[in-house]
Amino acid sequence: MNYFTDPILRAPTIGCILMCVAASLMGVVLLLQRRLLVGESISHAAYPGAILGILALALLGPEWEEYSFLAVLIGALGSSWLGMKAIERMERKIKIRSDAALCFTLAIFFGFGILLASWLQESLPQWASQAQVLLFGQAATLTDEHIMIYALLALGCTLFILFAFRPLQALLFDRGYSKSIGINTRSFERALFWLLLFSIVVGIRSVGVILMSGMLIAPAIAARQFSNHLKTIFLLSALIGALSGLLGNVLSVEIALRYDSLFLPTGPMIILVSATFALLSLLFSPKRGIAFRLARLASFRLRCLEENILKEIWKRREIEFAELKRHYHPILATFVLQRLIGQGWVDRKGGVLTLSDDGQTRAASIVRLHRLWELYLTEQLGWQAEKVHMSAEEMEHILTPELEERLTKLLSDPQRDPHAQPIPQKRPVL
Amino acid sequence: MNPYSGAGFFEFFAILFQRLAQVCMGAPLTLATDEVQLAVLACCAIACGLIGPFLVLKRMTMFANSLSHTSLLGVVGAFLIGSSLWDGTIADISILLLGAFIAALLTAGLTETLSRLFRLQPDASIGLVFTTLFALGVICVTLFTKNAHISTEAVMGNPDALQWSDLKLSALIAFLNIGLVLFLYRRLQLASFDEPFAKAIGAPANGLRLTLFLLTSATCTGAFRAVGVLVVLALLTGPYLTARLFCHRLSHLLIWTPCIGLVACTIGVALSRSILSWTGMPLSTSGLIATFIALIFLSALFVRRRKKTRTGWTGSALPAG
Amino acid sequence: MSQALTIDSLFVNYERTAVLWDISFSIPAGTLIGIVGPNGAGKSTLLKAVLGLVKPLSGRIDLFSKPLQESRSRIAYVPQRETVDWDFPITALEVVLMGRYGRLGWFGKLRKADREAAWQALELVGMSPFADRQIGELSGGQQQRLFLARALVQNPDLFLLDEPFAGVDLATEKAIVNLLKTLRDQGKTIIVVHHDLPTVTEYFDWALLLNTRLIACGPVSEVFHKEQILAAFGKTAPLFQEATHLSAKSRVL
Repeated sequence: MNYFTDPILRAPTIGCILMCVAASLMGVVLLLQRRLLVGESISHAAYPGAILGILALALLGPEWEEYSFLAVLIGALGSSWLGMKAIERMERKIKIRSDAALCFTLAIFFGFGILLASWLQESLPQWASQAQVLLFGQAATLTDEHIMIYALLALGCTLFILFAFRPLQALLFDRGYSKSIGINTRSFERALFWLLLFSIVVGIRSVGVILMSGMLIAPAIAARQFSNHLKTIFLLSALIGALSGLLGNVLSVEIALRYDSLFLPTGPMIILVSATFALLSLLFSPKRGIAFRLARLASFRLRCLEENILKEIWKRREIEFAELKRHYHPILATFVLQRLIGQGWVDRKGGVLTLSDDGQTRAASIVRLHRLWELYLTEQLGWQAEKVHMSAEEMEHILTPELEERLTKLLSDPQRDPHAQPIPQKRPVL
Repeated sequence: MNPYSGAGFFEFFAILFQRLAQVCMGAPLTLATDEVQLAVLACCAIACGLIGPFLVLKRMTMFANSLSHTSLLGVVGAFLIGSSLWDGTIADISILLLGAFIAALLTAGLTETLSRLFRLQPDASIGLVFTTLFALGVICVTLFTKNAHISTEAVMGNPDALQWSDLKLSALIAFLNIGLVLFLYRRLQLASFDEPFAKAIGAPANGLRLTLFLLTSATCTGAFRAVGVLVVLALLTGPYLTARLFCHRLSHLLIWTPCIGLVACTIGVALSRSILSWTGMPLSTSGLIATFIALIFLSALFVRRRKKTRTGWTGSALPAG
Repeated sequence: MSQALTIDSLFVNYERTAVLWDISFSIPAGTLIGIVGPNGAGKSTLLKAVLGLVKPLSGRIDLFSKPLQESRSRIAYVPQRETVDWDFPITALEVVLMGRYGRLGWFGKLRKADREAAWQALELVGMSPFADRQIGELSGGQQQRLFLARALVQNPDLFLLDEPFAGVDLATEKAIVNLLKTLRDQGKTIIVVHHDLPTVTEYFDWALLLNTRLIACGPVSEVFHKEQILAAFGKTAPLFQEATHLSAKSRVL
């Protein structure tokens, strides 16, 4: 079943994809401005205006019913603009905190919208279904005309971000600075404001007032996890948004087909898909994902343990396996030693462990770092000799070759540590 | 036969007081639908008015938005657990409250985890959690109840379907909130004003925060059918923001705020009835309440502005004294 | 001489940067000590670690030779003014009364003695005429004095003040310093995070110089010298900074 060509399916599919692209792009902007929840207020504030739009059309020009989409759009834009102005005023003039202003505005506007909707339901019931659709959206009944509007929107957002990328980047990163270098922050912010308004208001037809803000949030979060470069973040966000739009739609339809009359609404499905992407990226993205951070931490701790054991063997020339098992946790000791033996750092004869040549070199270099650091603390920073050991126990695993070189130079290639122990010298590289 | 049918705005109150007087003089207590509505809404207004100020002061209003949306999931969960029929009766109050608490804990827990462990910025954590859980709630409603109207009801409220059991629930929650504020007023004040200090002197700041979460969630659940998950936010924030324009003692605010909420709800019900009588149109009571709260707020702003220009006072946003 | 505060090998991280590195020192009771160091040196963090508001990576903190849980009632905290929302609907008196809440747990009630203590504290800082004022109407200096009164009302043995003189008028500053010295004479220990170097010798008995690591801690006459100050504020030991930051990054999730 082809979602892109079938005349019934293509409008919802393509429409949702385009809408999600626009929303995810704007979501990145909001994420970086730390104002993601503004989307919630905008979408809820749009509700009464949308209904007023329908009312106006019903009363003034009922013969243009197929243009109700436009009436809704204009009305929605109007009331969401009003809502944003109200929030601004509350924050500036009355000193209401931003979260309270957002919450109050969204509740009041939406409540008024409910009132209007009930009026519409009673007085012009033939138009009431239009209003009903606005709550949770109805992607399934999108038409090709809708695709046009969504395409325009997505194009508008993309083009703006493409052409205004540099000043946008400066604005998002540091508003004060960008103003000082002459960027017209006001017009930029105004442009962004209207783009945001459009992307939310236009999307209401597909996923509804209540869920629309969700379209902006998850893809941006997912994208942010993967990169620190703004361009990549925008691209990824749009991609993830598009995928979510597609998959949400597809899943909704497939499930309805497979399980008779189980119609799962598209809006929530898209959100669940994008939330899954967000969760996966939070867990598994390289560098920032939790899974990777845990792995990095675990491998660091493992390395510390290995190096401590190597040091132990170096100091005593040879150790009995059993003794190590007693000192460290038996299972852990066995596991670590297997690794060390397997990688060729340690030799085992019967129950006795010795270091291989490579093992000797490695252990010696760790001890060198330990003693260099101790000397650094006592000589350069005036620490007492009794206190430096703990710090060195940590640092011996951390110091990079570059830091080691600087230490050696700073301390003039020392031979003895503060406890008069010899500092293993660096073996010349052959 | 509903004694209020056909009543206009002022007649509504006349009938109300008449019936109240009758009850006081010994007549049996039978509540008309309007009165049930009024009672439930009154309890909601009181509950919201007592908790709302602390939510605003602790900057937890968008988090309350979050809790309010996820209460849908809580109610669905309660429905699944209680396997009651969603035909207008709620089987067991305790199960509903349990559903609310679990939803609240889930929301709070997930949001905190995203903030702390995953290092997500606060607005992103809140946003991601509540949109996902709400979407999940809507899907669960479709999957398990085969009745998509619940989602609409959740959002708009359905005060006409309110019953005695709903009244019990909202009254209980109102009492819980009254108890909270009565017994823990100073500590709530302390924890809202200066949380680090509160922790430093060993006051139960975290416990209070948790209690606030749970009660907010319960309040939203109790208001679920009465006004819906969005207008309850209007009841939580609006009256406080209005009262704050004139009053700056927390103890007084905690009296004004529920009163303003009560007024809005009462007028909402009366208006709804009178419009029905005059025009035959049953308008949404919760919509009327929200609109009225907005009107009260705007009038308060207007009055304050006139006061300012009259006394020629220009200063901070708050009047002196 | 009993030690009011003893810290041993304290390591504190913030996200993945080392904020406090291997801090060890001991302050005898009855000392008025100023903590100085550049921005981001960990001064506020040190106070927060002592109060248990921040969890250290490792290390030991003893207050009057006991852990925090047992000594909490003997310490008073005066946080930075900007941490608080001054628009909060609360009067000056109510702020001071807050100080008595530590001992009351969940359900205890305020008593007459508590109210009297609050009035006395207000009197002591010269704020009694403002008792019923909304805090938003108070000046910076008045707000600071209010915070101090709140600490006084707890009747502590140890005061921890975080930049109490920031944004405060000179008269208030002098008044507070005199009050602190009086308290010190009564045997209280007072630890102040201070931002103004020139006044250190005049205000404090002891000084603690901090720059992620401890530079020096001791009587002002011994410790507050040019080289120590340079070490605290200067850019020496970049190697140390780099190494410790590297370490902090590796150890934290």
